[in-house]
Amino acid sequence: MTGTSRVEHVTCLGCGCGCDDLSVTVSEGRITEVAPTCPVGRAWFGDGSIPLEIQRSGQPASLDQAVAEAAELLLEARGRMLVYIGPDLTSQAQRQAVALADLLAATVDSATSPTAAGGLLAAQQRGRAGATLGEVRNRADVLLFWGTDPAPRYPRFMARYVDPAGTHVPEGRKGRTLIGVGVGSDSAPKGVDLTLTIDPSEEITALSLMRASVQGHAREQRSPGLIQAIAIANRLAKARYAVLVHDAEPGDEPRNPLRVEALIALTQALNGPTRAAMISLRAGGNRVGAETVLTWQTGYPFSVDYSRGHPHYDPAERGTERLGSDRFRAALVVGSPALDASVAGTLARMSTVAIGPRASQAPFAPRVTIDTGVAGIHEGGTAYRADEVPLQLRPPLPGPRSATEVLRTLVGAVRAGLGQSRS
Amino acid sequence: MSAKAQLRITGGTIHDPANGVDGEVRDICIEDGRIVQTLPEGAPTLDVRGMVVMPGGVDIHSHLASSSCNHARRLLPEEHAVDPASAPGLDQSAGPPRSGAGGTVPTTFTTGYRYAGLGYTTVFEAAVAPAMARHSHAELDDTPCVDGGFFVLMGNDEYLLRQVAAGERERARDYAAWLLGSTGGYAIKIVNPGGIEAWKSGQRNLNGLDDVLAGRGITPRAILETLADAANALKLPHPVHIHCNNLGIPGNAAVTLATMQALAGRRAHFTHLQFHAYGGPGWSSGARPLIEYVNSHTELSVDVGQVMFGPATTVTADGPVEYLLHKSSGRKWVNIDIELETGCGIVPLLYKDKAAVTALQWAIGLELFLLSADPWRVVLSTDHPNGGSFLSYPKLIQLLMDRGARDQMLKQVNPKLLAGSTLADGLAREYTLNEIAVVTRAGPARLLGLPHKGHLGPGADADVTVYVRNPDIAAMFATPRYVVKGGALMVEEGQLRRAPAGRRLHVRPGYDDAVLSDLRHHFDAYSTISFANYPVQGITDEPIAV
Repeated sequence: MTGTSRVEHVTCLGCGCGCDDLSVTVSEGRITEVAPTCPVGRAWFGDGSIPLEIQRSGQPASLDQAVAEAAELLLEARGRMLVYIGPDLTSQAQRQAVALADLLAATVDSATSPTAAGGLLAAQQRGRAGATLGEVRNRADVLLFWGTDPAPRYPRFMARYVDPAGTHVPEGRKGRTLIGVGVGSDSAPKGVDLTLTIDPSEEITALSLMRASVQGHAREQRSPGLIQAIAIANRLAKARYAVLVHDAEPGDEPRNPLRVEALIALTQALNGPTRAAMISLRAGGNRVGAETVLTWQTGYPFSVDYSRGHPHYDPAERGTERLGSDRFRAALVVGSPALDASVAGTLARMSTVAIGPRASQAPFAPRVTIDTGVAGIHEGGTAYRADEVPLQLRPPLPGPRSATEVLRTLVGAVRAGLGQSRS
Repeated sequence: MSAKAQLRITGGTIHDPANGVDGEVRDICIEDGRIVQTLPEGAPTLDVRGMVVMPGGVDIHSHLASSSCNHARRLLPEEHAVDPASAPGLDQSAGPPRSGAGGTVPTTFTTGYRYAGLGYTTVFEAAVAPAMARHSHAELDDTPCVDGGFFVLMGNDEYLLRQVAAGERERARDYAAWLLGSTGGYAIKIVNPGGIEAWKSGQRNLNGLDDVLAGRGITPRAILETLADAANALKLPHPVHIHCNNLGIPGNAAVTLATMQALAGRRAHFTHLQFHAYGGPGWSSGARPLIEYVNSHTELSVDVGQVMFGPATTVTADGPVEYLLHKSSGRKWVNIDIELETGCGIVPLLYKDKAAVTALQWAIGLELFLLSADPWRVVLSTDHPNGGSFLSYPKLIQLLMDRGARDQMLKQVNPKLLAGSTLADGLAREYTLNEIAVVTRAGPARLLGLPHKGHLGPGADADVTVYVRNPDIAAMFATPRYVVKGGALMVEEGQLRRAPAGRRLHVRPGYDDAVLSDLRHHFDAYSTISFANYPVQGITDEPIAV
């Protein structure tokens, strides 16, 4: 591959912002430039080089050999295996991965359960008031950033959704009031119009009082932080369209697990006096896509156990946490796993199949590895933005083989092993 | 049986109202997935002597495959937990047989299997936000056994509202055509015209046909006229599919009637009419004047949106009504505002026969059915899962066919608000099998403009359902003995055996390209999705000719 070319309207999965306006320059088969510049996006694309190996027990193998061995290994462990869905896959690939989990009576885990699960569980209890990101841009006149500064993890959030003019906010950033609330080490964005820092010990009290105030049940407070929190609630209630932004991904320090539910409750309550929506910032890859696919195929967004012959929701116990028990005899890791060292250590002692981007570099010596392209870099298809808007992927580079196709082939091999006929 | 194979369904009593066949014993011949006139001697036969044969069911209005449905699924783990669905043991299927979960909003595969098990072979998803269209296609790809498509939400979309405000009706028509083609949709759906934008912009709602959307000078009337004219000018197979303003509010029959009158002379479909048929100012039935208007205006059609007692989940683009429902029921609530286009609201509900308002809603739906003069234009729906699950259709059919069962139920319900209801006064009508065939297949197929569906004449898709006669009408319709789709024998002896992939039903009407540069500017100014990335790619089925 020679020469320089440019691919327009490329979608970046570096974070959950879902920017689909990138211009990617490719020279000699390598990504050389990504515009507009964004450190997270640049890191996501890299130069686009990936390993292209297929291995069986550490030795090069053909795709047919690798798939056959994978099918045999997985079928032997049917009913006692884990399928892990990494975030760098298209939803088309994720659909095949969940199909495999169903056929193999496996437990499915994903990048969600150790990260954003708490917010999903809270929303299952209460519902939620949300919006797509374009509603932030087009309507939000007051934004509250609760314990989050989008700049480091979501660099273009402000530039895409807050600064520009919108249908109902023709002045853009100038037409909006930005409020930042820092909670302990979770800092607020710089350059906002109003800031407040509250002690983590007062966080849930503050959110509860804010909600009570919005509902007309205010009580006099003595703590300066709580007094200010209530003043912020009153400002939100006077907004035309208030948006509450929080980071659904874990921070450096543990957060109060009740934060998300309290934010949901406050946002819902704000829809009495005005309109309000909560935005959950999400990390990169198509992790929201995995939740979406799991929901339409199983009814549950993460942590699904098929070993009973149907989907069973087990949100309290992560699949990877159960790896240490002798429950699983094998694991299928699809996509690059965000696994800690102890999980990788456990996987190293099991029979594993790794399929996806950089499978051959997995830190647990799989029996079968099949490298594929990365969603949105080498593979087209669909990925979901943080707000669950499905986006088209325009890969700037050709891929060696797509994860979707490899998984579909594996589904066929597993079906054949189970004696199923196809129409 | 593969799609190429032949099959003679022999000895059954045929109810094929589109072809004027009402209970005659005939053979149905199938070849290459289509109904044919004859088959050679020796073709394989399926002996259905004594059984009732109808075209496959056609659901004109269901919520089964959309981002809103998926929000609802996620909201209801407690429903899924008590209704697990194992993978069916299939002889053949397009993809692997899949397990899933039921409840009021089942998982996609389970939805397909359960529709097939009910004798339905064609289903339309009634409300898809254009930006979420690729999600609906993915869900439909994972919904086997039924051919299907979806209606595209318009009437609260920024670009359309701007065209209405500017009086640019031709531009609005071109835009509607572009949007249908770009999303792979089938028809134009209007939900609470202007009212969702009012909800999102702080005006809360629009209650009357001539209420003005603040600061924009637009009324529901202008939106409805613009889109109804667009659909008819584009010669779409199905006209505008309208969910009126004020859903669920006492007294809303007035705005519903005004909407019908506003569209006088235009083809239009009014959906889940029951939810829009309340007298006022308190709760009472407003069914009679509405259905009488429908009876005398042949350009109009409706589906009823019957409420059935039991669990339901309200899922709608009509955000403001869900907020009210959340406040009145105290149940959990999802609201999602969807940029530049529409909204989404979800509240789970339980319809209790002892609740006075629910009993009234139930009675109003039955009044609409029983006072209908033309079953071809007043067809069956529960607005699944809003008025109840599609799995309750057999019980609804029983209420229509069996006055004894209906009167028995009437005695059990809370009578408080039923004074003045014609149902309480005693409606003797019982639907015939042929009328059921009309309201569940022939009628919806005709209203949808699907000449190959809903009948058993030569050239029709070989979608056939065979029932065993049973005095228990609900049992008869709940468990068809055989179901054939596109020539494939899906259900045999009451068991799902084959799960073919469904075909996508969509349109791609033409338009003046001049709209594209204007749209590109609009996207560049306000959308967070690139114009170039907006259209859905990769729909392999050919569009239905317009």
